Amino acid sequence: MTAPRLSRRDLMKLAAAGVVGSSLSHWLEPLAEAAAAHPHRRRACILLWMNGGATQMETFDCKPGHKNGGLIKEITTSVPGIKISEFLPRIAKQMHHMAIIRSMATKEGDHTRAAYNLRTGYLPQGSIHYPALGSVVSKELGQPDAALPNFVSIAPATFLSPAAYSSGFLGPEFAPLMIGNVGYGFGAPGAYADALKVQDLLPPKEIGDSQVEARLDMVRDLQAGFSGAHPGLSAASHRSAYERAVRLMRTDARKAFNIDEEKDELRTAYGKNLFGQGCLLARRLVERGVPFVEVTLSNVPGAEVGWDTHDRNFDRVKALCGVLDPAWSTLMTDLRERGLLQTTTVVWAGEFGRTPVINPQRGRDHFPNAWSTVLAGGGIKGGVVYGKTSPGGDSVAENAVNVPNFIATICKAMGLDHTKQNMSNVGRPIRLADAGSKPITEVLA
Amino acid sequence: MKWSRFLLALTLFGASAGLLDAAAPAGTRRAAGGEKPEPAGLDDVDRVAAKIDEIIALAYEREKVKPVPLCDDATYLRRVSLDVTGRIGVVSDVRNFLADLSPRKRAEAVDRLLDSPGYVNHFSNIWMGLLLPEAQTDLNRRFLMPPMHNWLRKQFTTNVAYDKMVREIISLPMATRAGDDMRLAFYRFQQQATPMTFYLAKQGKPEELAASTARLFLGVRLECAQCHDHPFGKWKREEFWSQASFFAGINGGQGDFFFGPLTETADRREVNIPNTDRVAQARFLDGKTPRWKFKVTARATLADWITAKDNPFFARAMVNRMWAHFFGMGIVEPVDDIVDDNPASHPELLAFLSREFVNHDFDIKFLIRAITRSRTYQLSSVVDPTGGEKGGPAPLAPPGPSDIRLLTRMPVRGMTADQLYESLRIAGGIRDNTTFQQRVFAFGTPRQLFVDRFGEQEKKTEYQTSIPHALTMMNNQLITDATHPDRGQVLGAVVSSSFMTTPRKIDTLFLAALGRMPRADEAERMARYVERGGAASDQKKALADVFWALLNSTEFRFNH
Repeated sequence: MTAPRLSRRDLMKLAAAGVVGSSLSHWLEPLAEAAAAHPHRRRACILLWMNGGATQMETFDCKPGHKNGGLIKEITTSVPGIKISEFLPRIAKQMHHMAIIRSMATKEGDHTRAAYNLRTGYLPQGSIHYPALGSVVSKELGQPDAALPNFVSIAPATFLSPAAYSSGFLGPEFAPLMIGNVGYGFGAPGAYADALKVQDLLPPKEIGDSQVEARLDMVRDLQAGFSGAHPGLSAASHRSAYERAVRLMRTDARKAFNIDEEKDELRTAYGKNLFGQGCLLARRLVERGVPFVEVTLSNVPGAEVGWDTHDRNFDRVKALCGVLDPAWSTLMTDLRERGLLQTTTVVWAGEFGRTPVINPQRGRDHFPNAWSTVLAGGGIKGGVVYGKTSPGGDSVAENAVNVPNFIATICKAMGLDHTKQNMSNVGRPIRLADAGSKPITEVLA
Repeated sequence: MKWSRFLLALTLFGASAGLLDAAAPAGTRRAAGGEKPEPAGLDDVDRVAAKIDEIIALAYEREKVKPVPLCDDATYLRRVSLDVTGRIGVVSDVRNFLADLSPRKRAEAVDRLLDSPGYVNHFSNIWMGLLLPEAQTDLNRRFLMPPMHNWLRKQFTTNVAYDKMVREIISLPMATRAGDDMRLAFYRFQQQATPMTFYLAKQGKPEELAASTARLFLGVRLECAQCHDHPFGKWKREEFWSQASFFAGINGGQGDFFFGPLTETADRREVNIPNTDRVAQARFLDGKTPRWKFKVTARATLADWITAKDNPFFARAMVNRMWAHFFGMGIVEPVDDIVDDNPASHPELLAFLSREFVNHDFDIKFLIRAITRSRTYQLSSVVDPTGGEKGGPAPLAPPGPSDIRLLTRMPVRGMTADQLYESLRIAGGIRDNTTFQQRVFAFGTPRQLFVDRFGEQEKKTEYQTSIPHALTMMNNQLITDATHPDRGQVLGAVVSSSFMTTPRKIDTLFLAALGRMPRADEAERMARYVERGGAASDQKKALADVFWALLNSTEFRFNH
């Protein structure tokens, strides 16, 4: 038997309360903003997604002195005893807020399947359409009537694995609003200012405000007529989505996307590039109550293939870290200064790591056997290294972490019950994190 | 330009059919004539349609519910156009249909639609999604679409019997040695018409092929039994791998390159069950052991069994799938999970339609004619305001799943991304001359944008609209152009037609977007708005506002 979904109940409740579809007009009316300091503030997650699979050997699990280690040097961090790559000097100063997992051991070495695996927590399997983690979290923590979408994906590179960005069996209500989809994720990086605009957010310029109002009035009349004759989830969802979209179009909600409001100093600190400004946007969205935001770091000048560094690994990773280091470290300080770090879990991950052995093109290839991820901020115990790889980095030496346990840990850090179930499209209940998973208590606050 | 605009205006205003179709891309124009169904066939369609209604009515009686009245002609044409051709009708078609006095005009409309290229397009798209789901989500596998597309178009153009279609897929010969036809140049391969890419998409893996064929053609989900005995069904792990064994002879594709040749060892019919020392032999799902023939592949033997007239799974799975296509949910739902503990809403109906489908030699068009001619399919989707249906569902409290499955009225169904894009194109007179190949390999086309943004949803009868959906419909360039008094083809023709009065213009916009005339209150309100020039004090812009609102209405977005 299919259990009714939360979304449906919520929608019906809203519809019954007359909230949905009540006021499409007055679209210029200001919108009350949820304050960041609200006492009952819900938790949020920012996923920094490293498209292509980031090397562990030049980031968080360096092997200086070993032939696999290459030329990399380690530097000390804010936590005695923990050393990371010389490419991440500013991140090193944030280490007391961070937990490094050096023992990721996953099963997929193909971009499409691995991205799906990491991003949904499940292996791709013919008939079940698993939702991305962002969709899962937005269902648990999102406000069904919020003007801002509950899941925003910034600069996603969906092309190789669109299903990994889908809300799957949870349905489009929990699908991400994508901003600046870079498609392939390869090639020259575009101008960030245009890329970070929400597509189709505004009516065409030639349509005046009063005309927009008149149009929306007519739509509302037509919607009321149709849903009166055809009551049900479909009609209610249509009205609710228009209501929310119109509120998003209004000045105040839209402001969330206006990074021009930020001081130039801060914008420069994040880095004036797609990922840096994307991280800044993520902070603005989380501040306004969006429970899940992800920012993808893919192509940058000098690394046009994102983290898929099959050749010239060291040069390319240096270029990528040149973008990652200021953006992520500024995000950490910015969140902390605004009192958001305690409620915001920051996750750093890609689809897999890279081979310890350096190939003849001075690159590293796909490697799911032993690699690193990082958790930080809300719910996470800082200054921790969990797990260990062998001296050459070719296997996990202790505390292997699989994908379900990784997902369960993120859920736990956000205060979610990872064993909670949602009904899937095949009529089988599916847990937030796969059956048998356990959160890693050592990295939880 | 002016001249074509005038011609378009004539079409919109008058009843001369087919002119607007000239704006549609080559190849979508209606075929003249086409094969007419046999008169004897017609009677048989009536008989089957009547029996459908009889079985549905038995359930009404048992549950003490009553159906709503039949829908009006405009609703029927829109509904059946979307279901059969994947798009709404053009204004002239709607006008012709409404003016037609023939008592059999609904049946005749279905015949016309089945003969049109729209039918071939729509059903080819649907089966592409079923046979190559991998191509929707994986860049590498998109290249597998054109040969399948070409092959599917052939099947639906000539109305190949369903059993024949499936038999060709399952028994398709592989290259006998590396270097044969599959090593054709990439370009040549793209021109071929072959379902070979079904195998290539699954890299020739026996377990994936077994799971897909069982789900698609038998309506059973074996894949859960791949790793362990099926927890909810009767399938055991052994049975899954017995099914996979029919494909064991295929020697997998080479590496990541999906165009590598697949070869086959004809007499290999067993696989090792992973992580065990057991071997599964090819055996049919009904437990019978196949009788092997000399030099006949295991797959050919399987194809004979699957498509046999007395196979209890085969016809039933297709009939259920087709029912779901026309009602938004199967007699068994989900459609590919026909097991004992997932009861059918109308078991007699499933059995009856399966029998008829077999007796009519698996004729897909016959099945479509019978379903669309039933009173059940012709029911209105409007809730009976007098509460004639069971207790009368209170406003805003939708009937539960059991009520909706009784079909006292037609469920409201969300349009697929394809249906939405095609219908917008028809309503707005938007040209799209891209070929299928261009669509596969060129990204960033308006069609691709709609497919990406709107995706597919499992439950057509509980269709969700998201914020990005609404933003796209309100503000996307495609809508902006279609609702621009100069750039929009249909709107432009309407606003520049000096011979039309304002109410006539509004009628035409309703026909274009919603396939119906406005109701009296709508007509009056909209005419008043336009006459006073609307918000921008400009009648043309006011008409654009009306058209924009119609395209953004719930009614436009749904098949009802």
